[in-house]
Amino acid sequence: MLDRIFSRVDFVGNWRVWFALSGVMLALGIGALAVNGLNFGIDFEGGAKFTAQGAGGASVQEVREALPQEYQGSAIIQQLGGENYEIRTPPIDTQEQTQIQQALQRELGAEVSVTTISPTFGLQIRDEALQAVAAALLIIVAFISFRFEFAFAIAALAALTHDILITLGVYALVGREFNLVTVVALLTVLGYSLYDTVIIFDRIRENAPALGYNRRRFDAMINTSIRQVVRRSLYTSMSTLIPITALLIFGEATLSDFAFALLVGIVAGTYSSIFIASPVLSLFKAWRDRRAKAAKASA
Amino acid sequence: MIILGAVVVLIAIAAYVIFLRQPVTEATQLGLDLSGGVSVTMEGYRTDGTPVTREEMETAAGVISQRVDRLGVTEPEIQIQGEDQIVVNIPGITDAEQAVEVIGRTAQLGFYPVLAADFQQAVPEGEVYQVREEIQNRLENDPAYEEGETKILFEVSESRTGEGMDVIGYVLPEQPALTGAGLERAFLDRDEAGRLRVGMELNNEGAREFGDLTQQIVSESLARGTPGQLAIVLDEEVVSAPTVNEPIYGGQVVIENTGLPGGLPQDEARELEVVLNTGALPINMEVLQVSTIGPTLGADSLRAGLTAALVGFGLVLLFLLFIYRALGVVADLALLIYAFLLWGLIVAIPITVTLPGIAGIVLAIGVAADANIVIFERIREEVRRGKTTRTAIQIGYQKGFRAILDGNITTLIAAFILFALSSGQVRGFAVLLTLGVLLSMFTAVAVTRALLGVISSRGIQLSPAAMGVRKDAIEAPPKTPGPAGVR
Repeated sequence: MLDRIFSRVDFVGNWRVWFALSGVMLALGIGALAVNGLNFGIDFEGGAKFTAQGAGGASVQEVREALPQEYQGSAIIQQLGGENYEIRTPPIDTQEQTQIQQALQRELGAEVSVTTISPTFGLQIRDEALQAVAAALLIIVAFISFRFEFAFAIAALAALTHDILITLGVYALVGREFNLVTVVALLTVLGYSLYDTVIIFDRIRENAPALGYNRRRFDAMINTSIRQVVRRSLYTSMSTLIPITALLIFGEATLSDFAFALLVGIVAGTYSSIFIASPVLSLFKAWRDRRAKAAKASA
Repeated sequence: MIILGAVVVLIAIAAYVIFLRQPVTEATQLGLDLSGGVSVTMEGYRTDGTPVTREEMETAAGVISQRVDRLGVTEPEIQIQGEDQIVVNIPGITDAEQAVEVIGRTAQLGFYPVLAADFQQAVPEGEVYQVREEIQNRLENDPAYEEGETKILFEVSESRTGEGMDVIGYVLPEQPALTGAGLERAFLDRDEAGRLRVGMELNNEGAREFGDLTQQIVSESLARGTPGQLAIVLDEEVVSAPTVNEPIYGGQVVIENTGLPGGLPQDEARELEVVLNTGALPINMEVLQVSTIGPTLGADSLRAGLTAALVGFGLVLLFLLFIYRALGVVADLALLIYAFLLWGLIVAIPITVTLPGIAGIVLAIGVAADANIVIFERIREEVRRGKTTRTAIQIGYQKGFRAILDGNITTLIAAFILFALSSGQVRGFAVLLTLGVLLSMFTAVAVTRALLGVISSRGIQLSPAAMGVRKDAIEAPPKTPGPAGVR
């Protein structure tokens, strides 16, 4: 059945449709980024995060009242499910941390875990994260150029940028906390989405005729290659999404955060490998060919 | 056959390290986020802004290690991270404040003659800072104060009246008359009234200099006609300023608080004793991150992580079985071997498993399944084109491997960057993902191939249906070779 559907789809020729679909998502996401911004966690901004475990039937309001007076206004309190609460405050020192921790323990009878991060460390982590993403993109372009050719690298880069923007956009839309774990997931998505793209490119490379470039023939060949591997693409995405969904459902805060980012990123990545990377490859090749011909004509 | 033999040996080794070498429940090292404890990340810096050296970091780590040992906790872990960070992981405790106080303290000890003093008693806690400012202003107008030659330090302690704090400001010379270098050892002690105090024993040179210092204080106080005071300063805070009535030779000094019925508070006395004995850190430490994870939260996280990993793993096994039938059985077997060997590696190396590490493992399961899907899809494609099962399998592995290699290298690039540019917990993720990907290349490619080899050598032919390919999807062998795969 899958084959029958895909045998009728023109992956390359209908690029306007695919780009428009992504474009709508991207526009929504970037709009949300502009309006809401990202909900940065304490990893990037500094601050303290308390987890109260087993706060027997307390309401969010009661948790707030359990805090020392001066933090009641600024604390962000969230129920984690069950009797667990997460409380986030602006940067505090160790003494204040102990004070809040003891207050929560005393008032709620809960086991309190806490992480504090200084604002300078937050900045440092943010720099590291940005560097990591930039380095990943550069090395990937170099690797694809080396194993395939530059045109493939450009196409892969377009797909990866697309995945990053979509994920950021979804985070801005739903207002989920954006933290170090999210960045780790994002980098993993880069690696994963690239895997998908590489599988398709590998088939294009295999099918590419030895003869010179001809747009119609090249595009038809891309379509054929995608049809040959699209099933694999979907199956591998599913086989990865299955354990990730399990993490999202069963994992606690950190793991489900991680799983959410991966879920969004891998769905975007599967789409972009098929519907973005390949059309971009075709368009870039065609553009380069036109330019080369124009250069020849004027010479 | 060699590969299958190797697999059997590896499984035996893994079983030994997991089950026999120690009880299985103790086999896997769990990170603090799963077992509970305190983790502190600190950054070394110098007040003049020049970068710290590797040597200083190592000395600091050594001093911190001694201090943590003296706290009497089990198996602390102290690591230098990057150029200027130290991570201290202490399992099993939940009092982060004491840990931070003890390990992060620079512990620069100094003895000074007091040139002038001013104080205010019973200050409410909220107003301490304000009162300090007021005293600072008053003392700066004192004739004893001279910009550049002297400095003003404070002693803030619980008031003797029992209400609020006593704030005392002292004018002291810029440089101490005697530093921590003169200290031989420090010990906990009680005076005649049973009040807790910290005794300090000075070495020969220290004792001589201390004698000279007290002599100087006494003569100056006689000349002035007011009692002379000695300030004992730790990290620019005055811990005690006893009155000196006569020169003290012999090198015995005590830090005490006669104002409180019990003397020094137990915690404080212990901290002083530890930091004085272990000596000063060569650099200052700024606390970057403190995590305290309660044992219940850790256990819950572990349970949730394991449930997620096992459910995900089980569903992936079912998924492969459903789509690839007989091939799926082979892939599932390889995945089971993979999971077991991965566990064995984690225990043998050993790798500390953290929450991000569990995420890495789960993702690696997906990657391992991927490799099989790539190969099996290729095999089915060849079968659909009318190739015999045997040829299809051969082509599938040959052509599939190149794609898997390129694909896995991209995942490894991502993991490598994560490892190189990040710190702490994220590294656990990168390490386990890398390990998982490498191991999956072995089990998903070599082991499945060997298993299929065994099946065909037994004369069992896998029918297309057994691989999940429907009969009507198979093409008749093409008479004229058309463009491959176009239908």
